[in-house]
Amino acid sequence: MQGHGFTAHECDCGQGCTSFEGGTFSIDAGVDGVPMHYRELNCVIRQAIERNVDRIMLRNVTGQRYIAATASKKDLYIGIHGTPGNNLGAFLDGPTLEVFGNAQDMTGNTMNSGKIVVHGNAWDVTGLSARGGKMFIKGSSGYRVGIHMKEYGQRWPSLVIGGTAKDYLGEYMAGGTIVVLGIGSKTPSPVGVSLGAGIHGGKMFIRGKVGQEQLGPGAGIAEMSAEDEKELEGLLGEFVSYFGPVLERGFSCFTKVAPLSSRPFSGKYDKTNL
Amino acid sequence: MSHANAAQPLPQPSQVYLAQRPPGLKYMMGGCGIAGCISLDGRLIAGDRIRAMLTIMEERENGLGAGYACYGLFPSRKDQYCLQFFFDDEKAKERAEGMMRFNLDILHDEKVYHHPVADLRPPYPIIWRYFANVLPKSLKSEGPKKGEEDVVIDLVMQINLEVDGAMCISSGKDMAVFKGNGFSYQMADFYDIPRYKGTMWISHSRFPTNSPAWWAGAHPLSILDWGVCHNGEITSYGVNRKLVEMSGYKCTVLTDTEVVAYIWDLLVRKHGLPIQAAAFAMAPWTYDEISRLDPESRKLATWLRFTYREAFLNGPFSILVGRSQPEVTLIALADRKKLRPMIVGQSPDGGIAYCASEECAIRLVEPDAETWATNAGSPMIAKVGKGILRTGTEHPFQGVRL
Amino acid sequence: MSGIAKKMDTKLPERFKPVIDYQSCRTCKRCVNECSFQALDFRDNRVVPIGGCVACGRCLAVCPVSCIEIRTVPSQFPPHGNWTERMRRAIYAQANSGGVLLSSCGTDVEHPVIFDDLLLDAAQVTNPSIDPLREPVETVTLLGGRPGRLQVSEGEMLRMKGCGNPLVVMDMPLMIGHVSLGSVSYNTQKAFFMAAKELNIVAGSGEGGLHHDFYQYADHICAEVASGRFGVDPQYLKGMAAVEIKIGQGAKPGHGGHLPGEKVTPLISETRMIPVGTDALSPYPHHDIYSIEDLAQLISVLKESVEYSMPVGVKIAAVHNIAAIASGVVRAGADFITIDGFKGGTGSSMRVIRDHAGMPVEVAVAVVDKRLTEEGLRNRVTVCAGGGIRCSADMIKVLALGADVAMVSTAAMVAVGCRVCQQCHRGLCSWGIATQREDLVQRLDPEVGAARIVHLFNAWNEELREVLGAMGIDSVESLVGNRDRLRYQGPNPKIAEIMGVKHVGEGWG
Repeated sequence: MQGHGFTAHECDCGQGCTSFEGGTFSIDAGVDGVPMHYRELNCVIRQAIERNVDRIMLRNVTGQRYIAATASKKDLYIGIHGTPGNNLGAFLDGPTLEVFGNAQDMTGNTMNSGKIVVHGNAWDVTGLSARGGKMFIKGSSGYRVGIHMKEYGQRWPSLVIGGTAKDYLGEYMAGGTIVVLGIGSKTPSPVGVSLGAGIHGGKMFIRGKVGQEQLGPGAGIAEMSAEDEKELEGLLGEFVSYFGPVLERGFSCFTKVAPLSSRPFSGKYDKTNL
Repeated sequence: MSHANAAQPLPQPSQVYLAQRPPGLKYMMGGCGIAGCISLDGRLIAGDRIRAMLTIMEERENGLGAGYACYGLFPSRKDQYCLQFFFDDEKAKERAEGMMRFNLDILHDEKVYHHPVADLRPPYPIIWRYFANVLPKSLKSEGPKKGEEDVVIDLVMQINLEVDGAMCISSGKDMAVFKGNGFSYQMADFYDIPRYKGTMWISHSRFPTNSPAWWAGAHPLSILDWGVCHNGEITSYGVNRKLVEMSGYKCTVLTDTEVVAYIWDLLVRKHGLPIQAAAFAMAPWTYDEISRLDPESRKLATWLRFTYREAFLNGPFSILVGRSQPEVTLIALADRKKLRPMIVGQSPDGGIAYCASEECAIRLVEPDAETWATNAGSPMIAKVGKGILRTGTEHPFQGVRL
Repeated sequence: MSGIAKKMDTKLPERFKPVIDYQSCRTCKRCVNECSFQALDFRDNRVVPIGGCVACGRCLAVCPVSCIEIRTVPSQFPPHGNWTERMRRAIYAQANSGGVLLSSCGTDVEHPVIFDDLLLDAAQVTNPSIDPLREPVETVTLLGGRPGRLQVSEGEMLRMKGCGNPLVVMDMPLMIGHVSLGSVSYNTQKAFFMAAKELNIVAGSGEGGLHHDFYQYADHICAEVASGRFGVDPQYLKGMAAVEIKIGQGAKPGHGGHLPGEKVTPLISETRMIPVGTDALSPYPHHDIYSIEDLAQLISVLKESVEYSMPVGVKIAAVHNIAAIASGVVRAGADFITIDGFKGGTGSSMRVIRDHAGMPVEVAVAVVDKRLTEEGLRNRVTVCAGGGIRCSADMIKVLALGADVAMVSTAAMVAVGCRVCQQCHRGLCSWGIATQREDLVQRLDPEVGAARIVHLFNAWNEELREVLGAMGIDSVESLVGNRDRLRYQGPNPKIAEIMGVKHVGEGWG
């Protein structure tokens, strides 16, 4: 415990739910099958961060929400076993979160920087409004994923989904990169309809077919540039580093979706002086 | 689950209504958590499982209503109607019983088991259960031909409307609803839900926005054997209500969920629509998507939308629907844009299917379940003893012939 | 007799006066040439007003230097709150002529506008609003009879039985109302039909038959069968989008159409199938309909004649017993019913009827929707409603009150130039709309007119989608009859009660 000031577990459950070993602070979020309340769990996590712990492992997580919300310690790693609840890593700014299981809804909400790796699925509204950072989802995601991801200054958010994504992927997108690999997809296209509706920045790389009827207003199919290939190669390399080799084909089977304009609806309004 | 550290529950309304409809109530709305499980291989599922599933999603409720419905509950009386009521007083009970005897042969009646719970303040309603058959004479009517189900529906609506302080909370065969005004764990303790075993459960915890505390207003809302738990708000309520009122249903609970229950009864039982066709009417594809279907499917889809325009549930919702007739069936459906969550899971041995607003509810009771999300507007349909007939990820119609 | 009556000097003072800024005027005389009411002349090298201005605004529009201003002449009558100028003018006119007052366009009496007393709802928190720019917010509207239930059975495949009903699929819940060729020009009607086709909606033919040039638009035309049966022949009943029996018109309930002989040019003669120069008089009632079962008979004969290939509807003027009448019309087998409110337009109608008979479409639609719902008939029929719909907000409100389709004609005419000067019955329309005079007709380019209507309706539809999105509704059918999403803030809560609309301040609970 030396160096971190831990003398006993900091939780008041009285069941010894925390331990510190080999530089890793572990929290059992479900002692005897009883899930710890999220306020308790997040409080313990925050205390650990305050004491400069840089590696935290959570076990038996069952639906606890808001894990690591606003966590800002750049070198912090949080491993999560179980099923973290909604809004995992909301407003995250720096740390790496790794989920060994599925994540629920709204993962990485308004993330600023950092990394979220999910060894499973991440359901609806993943990556909402992310301004930076990287998210790697081994499995599939749900509806409304990557909505209004945006770039700002040096920040450029990236989201890689191994499986499929449903409707409204990249809606309102204003920057960043979304990659959908479609591994295990039962349909020729791994994405749904209203793809990139209202997109006015950023780009998406979809491995598989994208029909015109899938594109939302403002989205178009574009040519891949050498720069795109380089970026994609980097993201895929990182994806493989987490989840192992998954792709056998090259870049030719990717479809790039990009905004037709940075101001897609500017012609909609009548400005007559009535 | 530990509640020691939970956010303080909101102050409860000073006046709690039981079976008596709160004065001036015209419509109730709110958000919520839902959970359900169904035995695919016929084994019985005890109530502690559904209790665990629902209570872990406590963030989705605010203590103003929760409930459970159990199906396959009365195997020895499975052909009798089980009517359960909230009564405010003995007088209401007597009046309701008088009306029931006119149409029903009451074979047995009993208090629905419940006991005081420390943090659930009385008053509690009188909660009573009747097992009954429909009297043959009540099937004779001067108007259109009535079935037994119509007699029960008419009776229930008549009691709800005419008897002050009486509200029927379930009226189907081989099923019962246990609900009230409190948190999900409170209602589970109040009724001692773990004491029951059935082949299917659906459950609901409420986060009402702006409604009085009303025992009868909690979910599941039920008519006949239909039970509906609903998360979300239906923006087309005014339109949907017209359809059910046109078809003879009387809205007595005044929630969008009540209307959803009537629409299922109307479309599936009365109009005989297959479940996926009824689900399509409630959560239809856009005309743009319909235009890309094959010609037969396109025609069916167009006519479902046009004919049942008033059944289209607009706005965000996810619903769990249960019924016991002709077989115990679970339906899970999210709106056509999937604005509300719906996760489905199956146990590794394939014996139980689960549905919930959040995956954690499934993981808690079945850590190794296979889970998936349903698609917008696509129903998951499972039947006891038959398995999962639709996973909720299919095309709306797999083959149509005109 | 009339000669004697006119011996008194009762020349009515002018209401409008064009004023010319002679410093700017280039004396190009365009205004003089364009003024079909002959209110301007060119004398002593300058343009002078000579009386008779109706404020049609044509001169303003053609003046290259914008040097004309039309002034409303201040009242020349001693003020009186009860004996208004309008009242006295009417009396002088009728005392002169002994005639029935004619008028056109919708009533200009300042009746209360119930639309303006209604406020729309929007979504906050408990239901999300929807951004219609990026997400589907559907306005596709189907018009036709509805079966009430479908027979679908399940086996290996789904089987649907029956349901051969014809349907009209429109891209927005708007139709251009019935404006006959005769009341308006060939070019105007052509613009309407071209716009309807382009917008994928339906335009009404009006009761004057269909010019052979216009059969190319037939699948976007609702063919009207009125009591005069003008132009109704086997061809007229083939290939149309829909057929509509016109029982009444909002601006003149209980009256038939009246096209004076001077407007019955060879073109009109050919279309209406009547001799040139004769009055085209529509009987007040249909003389084959003296009761509701006769209406059922006419509906049936039309359905049989069109071989059930298109919906057959009935248009009725909004009168006080409209709810019961509508119920009867649905029971008689109408696939759709059109309710025309008393503020609807007209090319010519008696002022006493136009201004005083009938009821507002807002209330009419609400009570019809309510009655049909109570009787379990609302899911058998499509309801169209018009008569005083001026903007997208009115359209949205009429839908929320219970109409599937909003019928709009005056606004479409305004879009192509009409200034609502209420002179249509004189046949001198300077914009080439309500006229048959060839030189005037040429002033309206149908292509331009069509494009303007397309713009207008698309803009309204976009505004509808924005409002639906704000309400958290993603398809227009969930607005239809959804009176929960309206509130009343006017002076007469009784109207709100009758319409089934809550008062502002009342929530949902």
